[in-house]
Amino acid sequence: MSHLESDQIPCVEVLTSVVFLIEDAVDQLPNAFALTNHLNTCPACQAEVAHEQAVKAMMQDVLRRTCDEKAPDDLHQSVQNLLSQHLEGGVSSVMTQFSMTEISIEIDEFGNVEHREVQIEQTHIAHFIDDDESGHN
Amino acid sequence: MTSKDLVLESAADRTSRFERDALVFMDQLYAAALRYTKNPEDARDLVQDTYLKAFTSFHQFEDGTNLRAWLYRVLTTTFINSYRKGQRQPQLAHNELEDWQVASAQSHTSDQGKSAEVEALENLPDSDIKRALQEIPEDFRIAVYLADVEGFSYKEIAEIVGTPAGTVMSRLHRGRKLLREKLAVYAAELGYGKEVEK
Repeated sequence: MSHLESDQIPCVEVLTSVVFLIEDAVDQLPNAFALTNHLNTCPACQAEVAHEQAVKAMMQDVLRRTCDEKAPDDLHQSVQNLLSQHLEGGVSSVMTQFSMTEISIEIDEFGNVEHREVQIEQTHIAHFIDDDESGHN
Repeated sequence: MTSKDLVLESAADRTSRFERDALVFMDQLYAAALRYTKNPEDARDLVQDTYLKAFTSFHQFEDGTNLRAWLYRVLTTTFINSYRKGQRQPQLAHNELEDWQVASAQSHTSDQGKSAEVEALENLPDSDIKRALQEIPEDFRIAVYLADVEGFSYKEIAEIVGTPAGTVMSRLHRGRKLLREKLAVYAAELGYGKEVEK
């Protein structure tokens, strides 16, 4: 199965990288050049990549056809209600936001500078839906 | 719209902008939520939570950037942080990239194998496709769904899920492989793809 004569790398390297080839992400790989060269001269690998592409396209068609549920009408309605409650002040929310940046600079005895920056962010939103019944509590 | 305009935008204007631009994605988000949570009640809750979170942080969203991708990011992180908390998740190895490269196909597929796979895909009922998708592990399911149903690029998926691009590639590769293996089993049960057995 090996086509070593067609380039420096064996077919198996192309086969294990096939996802990068069909996602058009071959430039993410360190051996992109050798892969492309191999592919240009190896019909078996070309057929394999073509098959993978065809199956991906078919799978996408099938998945898109089967996963096309519509949101139920009452969900549309309840999201709308949620937003209007928000706007009328019916919903109060408390947002706690915390953010800090840690910067460290180290200089060693040879004068090499090492600089590090760490950003920590945290957001927490709590929602309270005001309810008339509970108003008198 | 500049960030100064955003500060000046009234709450009412922001709401109508949100209603106009974001609510049109509800069907899509619901279909995704169904695949994530696997049941209609949780999917409803997830979509509501997503819209509420998206709405309250809509001032942070910059016009002109991809709103659909941003909503999927809110949906996915809400799901990962809230809905699967407490559940035991299969842990993925740190060196995923090498891991799958070793485990993946080592030789070319035969022509019969190729045509059997195509035949199976053409003939399997929708219910089997959904069942197969439900059965693959969550991280893989999310990656495959975002790529193959929603058509996001691997770079967009890395943003949405919050993982490096290499991890997305590995999940896509393994997720699709698992999906195809399951479909091959279902197809064999239905009598398709007999050539594979020879």
